[in-house]
Amino acid sequence: MSGGHDVEIPTDEELATMSREDLARLGARLDGVELVEYGEHYEAGSKADKNAERKVARWFLLSAVCAVAFVVVFIAWPWQYETAYSDNQWAYALYNPLIGLLLGLCIYAFGIGIIAFAKKIAPHELAVQQRHVGMSSEVDRVTMGAELIDVVDKMQIKRRGVLKGSLALAGGTLGVAALVPVLGGFIKNPWSKGDKSELWVTPWAPLADGSLVQMAYIDGTLVRPEDIPSGSITTVFPAVEGGAKASDAAVMLFRLRSDEVVKFRDEKHKAMRYGDLYAYSKICTHVGCPVSLYEQQTNRVLCPCHQSQFDITDGAKPVFGPASRPLPQLPLGVNAEGYLVALSDFIEPVGPGFWENKGRY
Amino acid sequence: MTTPLEPSPGMPGKANGRSKTMRRVSGLLAMLFALVTVGFLYSALTPTPQTAVAGEVDAASIAAGQKLYDNSCITCHGANLQGVKSRGPSLIGVGQAATYFQVATGRMPVADNGAQVPRKAPFYNEEEVAQLGAYIQATGGGPEIPQGSLQNTEALAKGAELYRLNCASCHNFTGKGGALSQGKYAPALGEATDQEIWAAMISGPQSMPKFSDAQLTPDEKIAVITYVQNAKATVDPGGYGLGGFGPVSEGFFAFLVGMGLIVSVTLWMGARA
Repeated sequence: MSGGHDVEIPTDEELATMSREDLARLGARLDGVELVEYGEHYEAGSKADKNAERKVARWFLLSAVCAVAFVVVFIAWPWQYETAYSDNQWAYALYNPLIGLLLGLCIYAFGIGIIAFAKKIAPHELAVQQRHVGMSSEVDRVTMGAELIDVVDKMQIKRRGVLKGSLALAGGTLGVAALVPVLGGFIKNPWSKGDKSELWVTPWAPLADGSLVQMAYIDGTLVRPEDIPSGSITTVFPAVEGGAKASDAAVMLFRLRSDEVVKFRDEKHKAMRYGDLYAYSKICTHVGCPVSLYEQQTNRVLCPCHQSQFDITDGAKPVFGPASRPLPQLPLGVNAEGYLVALSDFIEPVGPGFWENKGRY
Repeated sequence: MTTPLEPSPGMPGKANGRSKTMRRVSGLLAMLFALVTVGFLYSALTPTPQTAVAGEVDAASIAAGQKLYDNSCITCHGANLQGVKSRGPSLIGVGQAATYFQVATGRMPVADNGAQVPRKAPFYNEEEVAQLGAYIQATGGGPEIPQGSLQNTEALAKGAELYRLNCASCHNFTGKGGALSQGKYAPALGEATDQEIWAAMISGPQSMPKFSDAQLTPDEKIAVITYVQNAKATVDPGGYGLGGFGPVSEGFFAFLVGMGLIVSVTLWMGARA
């Protein structure tokens, strides 16, 4: 719209005789752009010209070499794990850095080559474009507006009812589809099983036949009370299928020194210990990290994520940090074979709090 | 704007520009070479951990151990290892393992009170450590460090799994240690020998919980030691491990260096040819 008004339009004969560069300059002028400087970077065949070409080509060659080297290393390099005592440790250790470095260098060199091409080979130009002052002229604005509105008029939207209806339908359903991820969570009721709903129950709950769940180490070996020395922590899992993988089942088993002064939340919790053995959920009540930094002198367990501290001699109450609820305690017992069992499930939900948790601790 | 865009060949500036790039590239290469060399030298010159082994037990060394005990330990641990209230704990039942850990790492005799007794240069030599261990073992009984090799390369992967479950929360996944509450800390395992790690697991020194032979069987203890020592001996392919702490230092480095690179490349792209 702006500029280009005062450019003299050449006749067809004149156009036929014009050189390509003149045509290019004319085209720019018609768009209101004046090319102050425009031309090749270097004199063709000159030393500088050859130099520039070589410099750009060097990057592309480097890129190609890296690409080939990447493929070779990817396939042929010894990638299998070697221990720290193996003579081939360096070869193994360099596999990952090498393929990363080579592929990275390949892409990097290619990019540098493209930019170097633009800087050294593409014609240098200095272009000046005049801008009009203030708003566009009255004619420009009125005609532009009319162009836009007229297109809508010509579509005759008003009389096309089916089109309008289907468009509205498509827009509406698309909007509903976008809401599904937000509202989808309301379809399934997480509390449909009442007291047996997933957040209330862990794999420690007694089995359907009433038998109690035994305690096992991570490898499945069952735990006896005499295995556990005082001042120790053991992570134990329910000895049921999938127990070691369940996200809510990990439990810390402690034996406190027998001269330790221990406080309890209430009589119910007092009955949950077995001698000096205490079992607490390993899942932090703040946001669910595994609590496991046990200081056996102070009897505190620390959560590595946000530094919450729980006092094992005081019902695993939080004494520092963002956690606000004590770690749930698991009622301990020993079965006829002498293995540790959970007398029941936790009496409160494990892990971080949630809305429905109020009143149940 | 009016600078000559076409420097004539042979201009001094031209020749300079080329050699500048070459100088830059060769400088970078020299730096890379130097870093790699330092990395190699470091891994070559770092001393292999010394391996002290529990000494022979006989009446003479027990007697010598008692002499050492009566000179240095009796004030806090009592004449019969029973401990002294508010000074030192009873040593009955701690055995040779705990004695070896505390004395060979220089933690005992303790220099001063603090949040934690730190590792320092040992006060007793190897022979004296063995004599003290023999005396404590003979008098109070308790766990001992087994003789022979405490590593088994076959169990490396299992050791890593056990380490992550039982040790990594305090000692960091590469054994760099970490903070506990109120000034206490889990020490880095860099200097720890096979025997010291075994003794620490079985005796539970300071804040560390105990790991009985039922919780971690002797084979599993060997697996854990194998993992720790292997992790320490593993090379850093980049030449420097950035402390081995993981995302914090690595992220900081990536941010600084990556951002610096991106900014400088952007400046170069925008610069006039």
